[in-house]
Amino acid sequence: MRNPVTLILTAISTPVILAAQTVQRFPRPDFESDYSAPLLTAPAARWFGWEYLDVLLLILALALAGHLALRRRSRRGLLALAVFSLLYFGFWRQGCICAVGASQNVTAAWFQTEYLIPLPVLAFFALPLLFTLFHGRTFCAAVCPLGAIQELTVWRPVKLPLWLNHTLGMLPWVYLCLALLFAATGTGFLICRWDPFVGFFRLGAPLSMLLFGALILAVGLFVARPYCRFLCPYGVLLGLCSRLARRHVTITPAECVQCRLCEDACPFGAIQARPGVYFPATGWRGTTTTWRWPCKWSRPMPGHPPD
Amino acid sequence: MTQASTTPAQPEKLTRSGFLRRWLGGLSLALVAGLAGATSWKSKRKTQVWQLDPHKCVHCGNCEHACVLKPSAVKAVHAYVLCGYCKLCGGYHHPQAKNLDTAAESQLCPTGAIKRTFIEDPFYEYTIIEEKCIGCGVCVKGCSQFGNGSLFLQVRHDRCVNCNDCAIARVCPVQAFRLVPADEPYLLKGV
Ligand code: SF4
Ligand code: SF4
Ligand code: SF4
Ligand code: SF4
Repeated sequence: MRNPVTLILTAISTPVILAAQTVQRFPRPDFESDYSAPLLTAPAARWFGWEYLDVLLLILALALAGHLALRRRSRRGLLALAVFSLLYFGFWRQGCICAVGASQNVTAAWFQTEYLIPLPVLAFFALPLLFTLFHGRTFCAAVCPLGAIQELTVWRPVKLPLWLNHTLGMLPWVYLCLALLFAATGTGFLICRWDPFVGFFRLGAPLSMLLFGALILAVGLFVARPYCRFLCPYGVLLGLCSRLARRHVTITPAECVQCRLCEDACPFGAIQARPGVYFPATGWRGTTTTWRWPCKWSRPMPGHPPD
Repeated sequence: MTQASTTPAQPEKLTRSGFLRRWLGGLSLALVAGLAGATSWKSKRKTQVWQLDPHKCVHCGNCEHACVLKPSAVKAVHAYVLCGYCKLCGGYHHPQAKNLDTAAESQLCPTGAIKRTFIEDPFYEYTIIEEKCIGCGVCVKGCSQFGNGSLFLQVRHDRCVNCNDCAIARVCPVQAFRLVPADEPYLLKGV
């Protein structure tokens, strides 16, 4: 296990290190009474079954989110699930481990020989991406605690101009590249360090981080989900997967009357007119509104032309 | 009329893009699954936790403030086998203490977290009351400078939430923090 060189090196260096910290200045006494020193207590680590329970709950929550979004089309159900995720993954599990940060662990596992990634962390990275390939970004809709805390604090969302939406939308790419670079070189985990909400989940953080989190929530009152849309690095990966998803939340073309009110109603600016889809309710086909919430690239819902 | 003339083009166009999307979707599915599978080779079923190496620690005081928990998950621990059981304890007594007693002003620890028990003349036992300890490392410094260095700091795993990126490890000036296997979560002195 240990090669001879290490052993020799350790043997040489140990007295030097010990000299700095542990010097037997006073001999250990010979007690006359029958005193025996207490044992060093070493409380065991937390129950790591929690981490596997987390993975199980993640799978259940992702499946349920897909069901609620695509089958039941239940906004209320998704909100309830978001509350659960916020309470469990956020406040109870204190925001660690999260899928957003797990991308760094995966990178570190590839680039740093000594880093070993725990299986639950790998699961947290991969599962939301896999589910997104089937259901779209349902992870963001109701499972991510960072998303949930913002979702529940949207108050009067305003619609950002398209150019601004797109420009700010580039930021996550930059952030993702930086974070992965930092993780690959072992410089640190940027995403964890700048996680705006983990301080709230743990009910304590450096003041600067609490202020950062509060700022994001304050902006989020009017610009819905600012972290998700303009910072979240994992959102980039989810967005790519969502683009290729098998199913998506869509506006039912059979019922749509092209009032296009939804374009203004979507707090994320995700509903945009797109050409080329047929709407049976009105026989209209020039443009369509496609529900792309909260992801940026979903496909248009094809209408079925009348027989 | 317009409807009838434009509908036939619709299904074909959608089929083509749908076909492409299917393919790319399947491809990325394989990609994500493959990445996860490949990464799992680098995975370890045993979880790792953060611990600080007391032989490296220079008791800078960061452990008290930098931890995400308040009070810190780091506490002082006493390796009794290294202790000299002295009446004048470098970790317990304030350097300017007039008397070597247990009065608050004689104590170094800001929270009075060390209990001093008389064993037999002239030996005293010093025990950390963990509930009171805030991990400031003042006693550890005193003990290393004037005593045997039997007091040292450790991340206590009944408290530590095992952050993905330990906040103390980031700021520790001597890189004393590292990941250790969860079933051997301590780096103790004197064992
Ligand atoms: S965009 Fe990021 S932070 Fe927002 S819900 Fe999705 S994964 Fe979570
Ligand atoms: S931050 Fe490092 S050097 Fe400072 S007290 Fe903690 S372990 Fe010791
Ligand atoms: S891992 Fe987190 S809780 Fe544990 S010592 Fe480090 S900062 Fe504190
Ligand atoms: S001096 Fe600081 S580290 Fe030592 S017992 Fe008191 S609170 Fe804990």
